[in-house]
Amino acid sequence: MSLAELIRARRSIRKYNSTPVDQELVVKLLRKASRLQPFAETGSWRVVYAGTPEARKRLVDCMLEQMSQSRFVKLIPGKLLDIFKKRFTDIPAHVIVMSTVGPDRLTNDRNYAAACGMMQSFQLIGWEHGLGMLWDTESMMLHEGFFKGIGLHEDERFVGILHIGYYDKAPKSRKRTPAEQKWTVLRGQST
Amino acid sequence: MKLSDLEGDMHTPSEFLDRPVSQELILELLNHAVWAPNDELREPWRFIFADNRYGDIMQGLQEQAPAYLLVLMKEEADQHKREEDFAAVCCLIQNFRFLAHEQGLGVRCTLHDWMYDPSRTEMFGVLSNERIAAVLELGYGASQPKENTELPEDELHVELL
Repeated sequence: MSLAELIRARRSIRKYNSTPVDQELVVKLLRKASRLQPFAETGSWRVVYAGTPEARKRLVDCMLEQMSQSRFVKLIPGKLLDIFKKRFTDIPAHVIVMSTVGPDRLTNDRNYAAACGMMQSFQLIGWEHGLGMLWDTESMMLHEGFFKGIGLHEDERFVGILHIGYYDKAPKSRKRTPAEQKWTVLRGQST
Repeated sequence: MKLSDLEGDMHTPSEFLDRPVSQELILELLNHAVWAPNDELREPWRFIFADNRYGDIMQGLQEQAPAYLLVLMKEEADQHKREEDFAAVCCLIQNFRFLAHEQGLGVRCTLHDWMYDPSRTEMFGVLSNERIAAVLELGYGASQPKENTELPEDELHVELL
């Protein structure tokens, strides 16, 4: 498979089967992804892994802590909430990425961008190994309790969480807009 | 090429040869790169290809390169969406770096302070509801990338929750 084929084949996976994910494999692939960034960018991010049943449960608890206090969620019957919780706890593994906060906007953007680049490499390398992922950006989970639960430092910014697992079926692709439609050419002057 | 076999960081030439970069190639690579994950399929990106054949198009702002790709993103009013969109654009850029690497094309991905200044970015046609996410300096390097002779010691430490 060429890199173009890999990039086009990758899908966001929301439904995982029960095959366990090997922690050592995840760490190995994360290292690979990290090394693909320019060397100057090392140190721009930090990674936390949640793969044991206990860690996964802790993660779900801190995610839902604030949510379960919201008026909206209070309207959801407890049983339904339990199902939701179980579904989440069943996800085999999670990788949490935070970037280092610098003294100015430029440093922050650079670090954030580097962390995102590393995460995309990790998603692609994972796909080559049969791992499906979802980069979860649900804004409901972004609250103090969650940040505390994942151990976010004061000088760090939460970048994203990747849910990881093996999958039975990849969803169909959704068409992209051709780059030609988002494309302008500029030329300098020969003066 | 398998991504898993790619070792070390990708070739980012410090100097480029005086060899033009074809628009068609960049478009072809972008049409693969747009398969980046992006929330709600907003596809928040837009591209300005700046041909630098006369050597003056980004003078004083960027290092010399045969061509530049300005990767723009739409600025949503909602801050959370803006973050999601920036992340999506970064994924697209990462895809592009891999695809360019496969073609032997060097990419320097740069972020600079001038990109936050609308009075400078509007000269390139950046709209008021957009910003530059990054400028990619494109060109061919003088030598083929070295096989990984010495990789820096791996620093990544994965912590467990």
